[in-house]
Amino acid sequence: MRKKPGGVLGIVAVTAAVALSLSGCRGDGGGQGGGSASSPGITDSAITLGITTPLSGATAGPGKCTVAGVSAYFGAVNAAGGVKFGDGKTRTVNIKSYDDAYDPQKSLANFQQMVSDNVFAATAGLGTPTNRAFRDAAISQKVPQVLVMTGDPLFSDRKQSPWQLGFVPVYQNEGAAFGKLLAKSGAQHKVAILSQNDDYGKGYVAGFKDSIKGASNISVVGEQTYEATDTSVDAQLTQLASSGADVFFNAMSITPLTIASLQKAQQIGWKPIWFLPSNTSSPTAILEPGGAAAYPGIYSVSFAKAPQSPAFAKDPDVVKFLDELKQYGNYPDMPAFPHCMWSYMVGATLEKAFQNMKEPTRDSFMTALRDIKGLKAPLMLEGTSVDTTVDGQPAVSSVVVQKYNGKGYATAENFG
Amino acid sequence: MSTAATVRRPRVRMILTAVLAVALIAAPLALPAFANQTLIRIGVYAVAVLGLNIVMGYTGQVNLGQIFFVGLGAYVTAYGVNHGWNILLVFFAACAVAGLVGLLVALAAARLGGLAIAMVTIALPIVGVPLAKRLSDFTGGSQGTSARFTDAPDWSGLDNDQWQFYIVLVVSAAAFLLARSLVRGKYGRAFAAVRENEAVAASMGISPYRTKVLAFTIASIFGGASGFLYLAAVQYTSPETLSFGHSISLLAAMVIGGAGSIAGSLLGGAYYVFVPQLTNAIDPNLTTVSQGAILLAVLFLLPGGLVSLPRVVRRLTRRSATRRSTARPAAETSQQTPPAQHPVPDAAPEGPEQTERQDGP
Repeated sequence: MRKKPGGVLGIVAVTAAVALSLSGCRGDGGGQGGGSASSPGITDSAITLGITTPLSGATAGPGKCTVAGVSAYFGAVNAAGGVKFGDGKTRTVNIKSYDDAYDPQKSLANFQQMVSDNVFAATAGLGTPTNRAFRDAAISQKVPQVLVMTGDPLFSDRKQSPWQLGFVPVYQNEGAAFGKLLAKSGAQHKVAILSQNDDYGKGYVAGFKDSIKGASNISVVGEQTYEATDTSVDAQLTQLASSGADVFFNAMSITPLTIASLQKAQQIGWKPIWFLPSNTSSPTAILEPGGAAAYPGIYSVSFAKAPQSPAFAKDPDVVKFLDELKQYGNYPDMPAFPHCMWSYMVGATLEKAFQNMKEPTRDSFMTALRDIKGLKAPLMLEGTSVDTTVDGQPAVSSVVVQKYNGKGYATAENFG
Repeated sequence: MSTAATVRRPRVRMILTAVLAVALIAAPLALPAFANQTLIRIGVYAVAVLGLNIVMGYTGQVNLGQIFFVGLGAYVTAYGVNHGWNILLVFFAACAVAGLVGLLVALAAARLGGLAIAMVTIALPIVGVPLAKRLSDFTGGSQGTSARFTDAPDWSGLDNDQWQFYIVLVVSAAAFLLARSLVRGKYGRAFAAVRENEAVAASMGISPYRTKVLAFTIASIFGGASGFLYLAAVQYTSPETLSFGHSISLLAAMVIGGAGSIAGSLLGGAYYVFVPQLTNAIDPNLTTVSQGAILLAVLFLLPGGLVSLPRVVRRLTRRSATRRSTARPAAETSQQTPPAQHPVPDAAPEGPEQTERQDGP
């Protein structure tokens, strides 16, 4: 039989009453945690870090690397007992990873999930829009978003981003390093520039042009741009080839396009010396399929030892890294993207900050993190180091120019 | 008396609606922040799916560009907020700009029939992403732009997530009520006629062209409103927001929720938000695979979308009930049959001659 309306009304009343009384019970769900009490995500025996990064979609390759590197580093550290923190306690480090598929909306959702999962800090995530999407939320909830993989300078601006810190060099750093080497060579060079029409390409070109200002031996003879969504740059390449340049500065972030341009330039008989950004210069993923051996030289910049390179095949850092990547990082192959090495260094930088933090709080962590100078993280090349003390610069701002030697890269002291 | 019939009584319906309203208003106060944030995002995408449902589910015109209007609405909102416009003006601008662009596109696209519309709408997000990167003065380029306007004011005593919840609740409730009246009235019948057969619609005095343009424009306005909500919830937008893949995900969400159903749109929004969270919890490395598996499972088991779940459950329970007691009187069994399951009544006699239809089974 049907219930009397009075019964249903009763349900309404009870529901409303329950809901309203529950509302009084809401505790501090956001978990800001201030003062000297420990922050969420850290106990006496463990600390939890979160990574939101693309694990599916077009950027999944580098994205998986960001998780693998950090997991490998702390996997080994945990196996050896954990990290001895500045407050005297030894803690193990847990990593939680979240897939954002390079979608800003999802990365924000993942950040909110992290807060509800009691994550101490977000780290190592890849992508400018995805990191920007939860930057404001991280600031307002006072959750560290540190050592993230983006060349966006905003993350290293202390005033605007008090709870953030970028890890990898900003685009300008890379362009400038190559420009300096080129200017130093003393020989006459004509440079053709192709760049992506966004902050990425503009950053590289700005850094490069700044560094060749006043160098009379370098002239820019052709400049073209392309859109990140373009599927072909053949027209631009043909035009740049006709400029007669002997050096080609290609600020391109799209893997297939880089391979295609390496092939196209050969086909039209233009064989300049190339410069490629660090994220599109992988020997196995880009240079080999692109037939890069045909060119007189391929230069890139790096701050990480490349495991593919024969020069580092027996390097103890590299051997240990590959071993741990296999064992703890769930990444059995030779890393195809530098992000694996970078995030491994993120692990080392975090460990250093943990060792220096006096209290188990996010405040104390940020203070410790911003006070690292001259740290030579494993896998770092000679001449580079982690320095978090300079405002406006990411944790790593020093890069060295490298030359492709047919298998991997070796540091180039001189151009040519 | 069956529960289905009880629910249909107007008085009970009213009371149930009141319960729902009270629950929705009280929910953010009681739920943890993360649950609120999830509900907020569901609201955002439910409105976008609702718009898509009007043009696709109700009017039968394939639209692959809905995310473009969401992104457009978000950009207009960001621009307005960063230039200090009144928030109501921002909201109307977001809807109006999206609606206007939708109208312009529809005027051209609706002249083409069938799949040609799909082709035109595919172009929108594909053009939209580079456009958003190029117009960096307006959009902030590829780094995107953020705009904060949904922090809870001090007098409210609410947390930000609770305040945002109410904003999203007001806008999406209004959107759903408007859409419900729309599809139940004169225009809803016009949409259905155009979907079923354009020639028949034209013969009844309904212009298929105008109806399609109308449906498309309304869908765009809903997209713009969804974009406003997107910015209210995410407070940031970038060219990635309107990438083509998300448009397909919206489409999948609509089909999974239930095409041509208002409640289905809400379920679609919930699907769009929940499934990535669920698959993240299963294994963040296998999100695409598990999302595909869920998609296939839903489509196999519930071809009518999630909204058809109660119907399917009822059919299954009835079947097992009849199996258990075959001796049950026929009258009672038929009383339990929900109206949707009634056999199609026989065609009315059309004349003295036996026609094919009267001969049929």
